[in-house]
Amino acid sequence: MLDFAQVVLDGLLFGATYALIGIGFTLVFGVMHKLNLSYAAASIGGAYCGLLVLQVMAGAPAWLVFLCGFLAGGVLGYVVYLACFHFIPFSSPLATLMSTVGMLLLIDEIIVHATEGRPLNYPAMFDDVMLRAGELSLRGDLLLVFAVAVLCMAALLLVLYKTKLGIATRAVSQQPMAAQLCGIRIGRVNALTFVVTGLLGGIAGALIGASVGTLSPLLTLPLTVKGLIVTVIGGLGSIPGAIIAGLLVGGFENVFQLYRGVTERDLYVMLLLFVFLVFRPGGIFSPQSGRH
Amino acid sequence: MDFYYGLAQIVGVHTLLGLSAYVVLLTGQVSLAQAGFFAVGAYTAGMLTVLAGWHIAPALGASALCGAATACAVGFPALRVKGLMLVIATLAFGEGVRLVFFNFDYQIAKGGIKVGPLGGEGFRQIRFFPENGWTTFDVMLFIWLFVIAAMAALWWFDRSRYGAVLRAVGEDELAAQSVGVNLTAVKVSAMTVGGAIAGVGGGLYAHYTTHIEHSSFNVLVATFAIAYPIVGGLSNVFGTLAAVIFVQAFLVEGLRDLGDWRNLLFGALIVAAMNLRPHGFFGRRH
Amino acid sequence: MKKLALAVSLALAASGGALAQEKTIQVTGFGAKTGVIRLFGINSEAAMLAAAEVINKQGGVKLADGSKAKIAVEFLDDRCNAEEGISVIRRIYSSDAMVAVGPTCSNVAEPLYGILQKKVDDKGDSGLQMPVFTDVAIKGGLAKISEWSFRNVPSEWIMYSSLYYWLSTKHPQFKTVYGGVEEDFAHSRASWYSVMKDRAQANGYTVVGESKWLLNDSNFSTQVREMKKANADILSIAAHPFTTCGLLKEMKRQGYKPKLLVGLTSTSSLEVMQGCPKDVEGMIIPTSFAPVNKEAKFAAAATAKYKGSADLHSMAAWENMFILKQVMEAEGISGDKKQVQADRRKIRDGLAKLKTTQGLLGVSKRTDDREADKPYLFVHASKGEWKVLHNPL
Repeated sequence: MLDFAQVVLDGLLFGATYALIGIGFTLVFGVMHKLNLSYAAASIGGAYCGLLVLQVMAGAPAWLVFLCGFLAGGVLGYVVYLACFHFIPFSSPLATLMSTVGMLLLIDEIIVHATEGRPLNYPAMFDDVMLRAGELSLRGDLLLVFAVAVLCMAALLLVLYKTKLGIATRAVSQQPMAAQLCGIRIGRVNALTFVVTGLLGGIAGALIGASVGTLSPLLTLPLTVKGLIVTVIGGLGSIPGAIIAGLLVGGFENVFQLYRGVTERDLYVMLLLFVFLVFRPGGIFSPQSGRH
Repeated sequence: MDFYYGLAQIVGVHTLLGLSAYVVLLTGQVSLAQAGFFAVGAYTAGMLTVLAGWHIAPALGASALCGAATACAVGFPALRVKGLMLVIATLAFGEGVRLVFFNFDYQIAKGGIKVGPLGGEGFRQIRFFPENGWTTFDVMLFIWLFVIAAMAALWWFDRSRYGAVLRAVGEDELAAQSVGVNLTAVKVSAMTVGGAIAGVGGGLYAHYTTHIEHSSFNVLVATFAIAYPIVGGLSNVFGTLAAVIFVQAFLVEGLRDLGDWRNLLFGALIVAAMNLRPHGFFGRRH
Repeated sequence: MKKLALAVSLALAASGGALAQEKTIQVTGFGAKTGVIRLFGINSEAAMLAAAEVINKQGGVKLADGSKAKIAVEFLDDRCNAEEGISVIRRIYSSDAMVAVGPTCSNVAEPLYGILQKKVDDKGDSGLQMPVFTDVAIKGGLAKISEWSFRNVPSEWIMYSSLYYWLSTKHPQFKTVYGGVEEDFAHSRASWYSVMKDRAQANGYTVVGESKWLLNDSNFSTQVREMKKANADILSIAAHPFTTCGLLKEMKRQGYKPKLLVGLTSTSSLEVMQGCPKDVEGMIIPTSFAPVNKEAKFAAAATAKYKGSADLHSMAAWENMFILKQVMEAEGISGDKKQVQADRRKIRDGLAKLKTTQGLLGVSKRTDDREADKPYLFVHASKGEWKVLHNPL
């Protein structure tokens, strides 16, 4: 039996990647109340765009690739907004849901088309750094992911509660009619928030690519499912909740795998989700705001 | 002609899948669990015809029952959550069912070889149709018998008070409750009906592909299940049928010659369709 | 005027005659041309087109009546999806194609063979009567599902048997094997449990255990820790490029390097080299193709002209075309569009009769359950390329 503590630690660290993508999901789903199933695909798409830097400049440093992924994510966020949310009326949530599904398929297919389905090597920062804490070892690059997740959380909370855009976003998602009556331009606010979440998604995609080491379209579906689970467990709209939930899911996942093997692991993750849905549907941090 | 009969078979089974999500969508619930009920039906029917030697008709009856029972069991806890959370809950459930089958081994020796589901390797040689001399045409008629029955039943519901109640719950739960509608009963019954239809569809799917495995019932299948009624529109059952024909006959089969542009068009057309006709091909009931 | 009319009518007669003689035999390939495994379909199609061009340049296929017919190739995409694969084979059956070459994916092959007639001449079996000659789908033991299904894929069982034997003689100091397996992919799973594990044990190795993961997993920390703990001499991985690369990178992170690394047959492709060229260094894989002789190099070059790359999968498709030509000529098919089903039956019978076939690396034997026993060699990853390690031929 492997050292239990190490297994938990490995899981928690990998959970940082779930936390990072979870923040974006909870923003989109919980704060903006938008059903955007293509979020993970767009994030990975952004990461792929980051690789274009290497086409232009062969030995480019990893952080430049991440930056490009960051920016590409923002652009993709805007594209998703236009394709799925701008023209479809509010009264058709099913239509927006389905159009984001179409977008997910489209982004996946564009990636496959452009890369011929081959997995691509992704540059990483600190991937050879293994820190030691006594008997336990920690992956340096995942600590970076965690640090970025915390930074993003701080930045987002700042934006949401201290800037005009943030206040406008929350107003639009809570009471779109009233917000419009106050002179807030819904279209512009929505577009901007999609860009912001897109930027977040871009950096998430890039860092996830870096921690996995290879980028493949196989990443999108599992990330989408994980992102949704993390959003629910953490509490819809709660950014700190998303981080805690991400780490939790990562940790539990690894523990389930240790005790019940890889074939039953995901079954237990689903059960974990059910437990939360039945006993604590608001998630770990039920948000004070919102009209649930 | 064999090819067209085969295509009609596919349209038929997918229509059943779509109808199972349609009836649940009428009550305003987006269920990504239909693929799970589909899987339950598939494995049930397969095991009954292959391991127990049943005829396909009673096997499908059992599929419907098992699908319905599973759906009913899901329906109750699902009521605790609404909207987006229900989408995620049903998604998790559907995946859970798939994972159960991923871990499910039940093999018995028959005629010197072992038959039955074998976890990750799947369940092979479900050959009731060819072994009993059913032609592609026969199977097509058989499948469409069930499709027409399901469509007729749902069409009849729409004409009856039950259908009105379903749609009332879908439109405005508070209003429906205030006129005395029992929300729990309505939602669970819709889920159960959906589960039965999906179960039959799954049983047929197992027999016309002769080989099923856990990955045949993944998130993508669950997504297609709700895509058909959404793209087709919720005003009547023909919307779902039209959407299935559009996707399976036109997009998947008709565009096959386009090579890999077909896949790109797929996603793009769905996005376009939702932008141009947000309430689906046939729109919504007014 | 009269001379012109005569000339024109003579020309018309001549061209009409030539048109009447221009016969084509349709061979339709199918497989995954889209999705993550699209390269397989693209390569198989290229190989089939290249082979057809060579055959046609040499005159084409000789029909029963002595005339020659050109081979026409079409390739249909099944997206590695069982329902679509079945729809495609029905479509091919409804056309005048003589034989179908494919599919790419084992999870399509299994259902597809299942809808074929199980035993020829079984009047009670309404299964499809279409000869299917598979180039890529490699999961063990499939062709025996139907008497209409034939495969030209290497036997992993035979290759790994030989590989482990060779390793035991070349490195007698290595005694233990540990496995890594993709549990949710039928082919990988079968390849570890039924082939690699079994054959390693048969050659005197002690299999200390195995680590498992899923097809799209990306966290291998636990698995690598298990491997480190087991500390076997040889690590044998049955997985596809994405997870193989993920695992290898985690191994590097944790500073674990087994003495020998053995991989899955399908991993010896360009994909792994693009995904993790540095980490896969030294991995040994048995394969049924490498450009080691004149014919192999020629086939590779011809396929490259059609924008495909040559590997054990696409070169099987190449070989299939020539085998089919040989069978068609031996059985004397009519090439008559009205006798397609009779010709298909002849091709099936011809394929069933074969005891050996000519492959690019040498002669392959045909087994009783319609599989192939192909010549093979061992390659290893060296500086970003797959180089021949040992050629038992």
